Amino acid sequence: MEQRIDKHVLANGMVLLGEPMAGVQSVAFDIMLSAGAAWMPPGACGVANVISDWIFRGAGPRDNRALGDALDGLGLHRSSSVGSSHLYIGAALESSNLAQALGLYSDIILNPQLSDEQFEPARQLVIEELCGLEDEPRHKVMLELRKRFYPDPLGRSTAGELADLQALTVARTRELAKSHLDVSQAIFSVAGKYDFDAVCRQIEGVFGPQQGEPLNALDVGSRGPRYTHIPHEGAQVHIGLMTPTARFIDKDYYDARAAVSVLSGGMSSRLFTEVREKRGLCYAIGAKYHSFKQAAGISCYAGTTPDKAQETLDVILGEFHRLAEGISEQEMERAKVGLKSALIMQSESSSSRVDSIGSDYYMLGRVRTLDEIKENIEARTVDSVLGFLRSNPFRDFTVVTIGPREVRLD
Amino acid sequence: MQFQRQTLSNGLVLIGEVNPGAKSAAIGFFVRAGARDETSQINGVSHFLEHMLFKGTERLSSLEVNEAFDSRGAQFNAFTSEEQTVFHAAVLPEYLIDITELWAELMRPALRDEDFNIEKDVIKEEIAMCQDTPASDLMDRCRSLHFGEHPCGHSVLGTIETIDALTARQMREYFSNRYAPNNMVVACTGSFDWDQLAATLEVTCGRWPAQAVGRPLTDFPGTKQKARADKANLKREHICLIHTGVSAQDPRRFAAAMLSLIVGNDYGSRFYWDLIDKALAEEASMQFGPMDGTGMFYNYFCCSTDNADRVMDIVNGIFRDLADHGVTDEELAKAKNKVLSALVIKNEVPMGRLLDLGFHWMYLGEYRSIEQDVESVKAVTVDQVNSLIRQIDLNSYTQYTLGPAATA
Repeated sequence: MEQRIDKHVLANGMVLLGEPMAGVQSVAFDIMLSAGAAWMPPGACGVANVISDWIFRGAGPRDNRALGDALDGLGLHRSSSVGSSHLYIGAALESSNLAQALGLYSDIILNPQLSDEQFEPARQLVIEELCGLEDEPRHKVMLELRKRFYPDPLGRSTAGELADLQALTVARTRELAKSHLDVSQAIFSVAGKYDFDAVCRQIEGVFGPQQGEPLNALDVGSRGPRYTHIPHEGAQVHIGLMTPTARFIDKDYYDARAAVSVLSGGMSSRLFTEVREKRGLCYAIGAKYHSFKQAAGISCYAGTTPDKAQETLDVILGEFHRLAEGISEQEMERAKVGLKSALIMQSESSSSRVDSIGSDYYMLGRVRTLDEIKENIEARTVDSVLGFLRSNPFRDFTVVTIGPREVRLD
Repeated sequence: MQFQRQTLSNGLVLIGEVNPGAKSAAIGFFVRAGARDETSQINGVSHFLEHMLFKGTERLSSLEVNEAFDSRGAQFNAFTSEEQTVFHAAVLPEYLIDITELWAELMRPALRDEDFNIEKDVIKEEIAMCQDTPASDLMDRCRSLHFGEHPCGHSVLGTIETIDALTARQMREYFSNRYAPNNMVVACTGSFDWDQLAATLEVTCGRWPAQAVGRPLTDFPGTKQKARADKANLKREHICLIHTGVSAQDPRRFAAAMLSLIVGNDYGSRFYWDLIDKALAEEASMQFGPMDGTGMFYNYFCCSTDNADRVMDIVNGIFRDLADHGVTDEELAKAKNKVLSALVIKNEVPMGRLLDLGFHWMYLGEYRSIEQDVESVKAVTVDQVNSLIRQIDLNSYTQYTLGPAATA
């Protein structure tokens, strides 16, 4: 596969990355700022969400309405989100409008108006969304799981906490916005149809003069309780569980990914076959790999009617433990083909590539080529994965359930 | 991109849009079968049948089916709506023919009793999952209230009672009628060899016998009734409104799509500025739902109980303002930009194009290129949108609300 990665580092440390894609008329971009939930001070959980909304409520010479109209006028599709490590601010659009979009986003990040009258609706909207989670047990259970699995502040909720949100003041939030929207530590990624020289000139012109300081390492605490049940009089028990595994930056990363693929990669995987196909216990069941720089885990979700909740949990845990007993050559082959196919098909989407190149750079200080990832996947064997599993058995599960009935953990 | 088509002697239509530069291919089997084609006694059979197709054939067990898909790295799935069942897969080009042969074989399933009984439990879990997803539960209830006796009001999943009572024999009868080749379309997009694909489908599907199968198409404007249900586990108000719409065949459908964006897009719409921006609701949207011979607009709001009355006052105010004054040039221009942007992004991947290709044929019996859709969007005028507003009567709608029980 021919692939080019563009890179330019500004004098202040900001990194610009790009991946051109032939044959598309679109472009996606994203700016990663070290303003995620984990970087905010304690007692302000949710402030990153408020900031990410507030900065769009007026920037540079445009008030809330004028800014919204300008963004809409470009037809762009916004994608902003709050993660643990970063605040992600990005968009996807038709390529001819990129320069204008970058102009607006520069204002949003460097010159947000952060007016008093727009603070309250920004804060209230985050509160409304948080309250809305009460009626979404499937979504809520995975947030509650991460809070307890990952040590504080990594696991801090990316939806916020009600008491903290209610206690926020305009002044404090404005102060945190100004100190955390530090572009000197930012990673800017672009993928699709673009002119890298033009992008660099534009970004350097606006962001270049900004100075900032590298952040200290996060002070990471301990994990939460092993099992939590949250009563909810719904139709199902929603089960979330998570176990530690190799991190993205570890040498065993690809063996961990292959193991998760055997466990839950496709419909012939262990979990789908044993829990759903053979026993009819669930409709929705699946496990995923997730990693921060400091820690990683394999999470699993299952939704099931209350009478079946205990059996569902027991079968899932049984499958996690059984994996190290043996994996067939055919299973291994399917896991590898699945991972390689997904890699190639994801590379067709400009938004997916933007996410990948930004995340790679943050984790590794460089962008992996698709060939490199493919070769690493191909190098996995039954022996390498079993060796990994036997040296790193699945244990120390964190479990959360939401529903009308609890489960027992042995 | 190059369009190709062929119709087999048994009526099966094959269509393809070849893009030699793509890295993948996507294939779909579209069947004109959905909840609207069911009687109330067998409500849920189309969706159950969709599940059963993955359970295999005389030759293949369900595990062998799953292994066959996974060993080729296919990203495959299926869905059932009120009027379509669609089986699709995205795959690297070298595996396309294998996956096509697999799908074609699955289209003649074994429908074994023991698989039928286990899968009943999975369907019932899916029904329970829908009950714990208020937006889905609400949509089902509101659609049923809106359409009344019209079959478009049937629930796709069915109920616990109808699923429990369903027999394998009833499913086999339904299957042999609706899964006839003259009631299906096979579509393919991306990087593939058309001649090879067409020859494969001729061999694997060419001998299926055609059936006499149809679907009565009556337009229905909706009952405009109002209802509410309390659910003990809810903390928020969930409100659905359904307006009369236009069909997937109607020339006004492009104006309808623009109207739904102007009123209820995620950003910059009437709902956004008056409800979301003001933090009165965390969700407020309008979507256009074109269907076979009929259509609807559906609106969804989620807010606190305290704000519910105010939200509805504002929504009714927006509808009155649109009925009295129509939309502005600026609103329409922005809606067009969003649609054109969305088309460009969606068409990055063959899977993004597949559904449009298949649905255009199922609903219109014709091919429409991306360029044609772009031109139709650009050609919409303010007068057309305002005329549509008058015709559908925005102030009149069916409403269903789900929320917590009122406190004393």
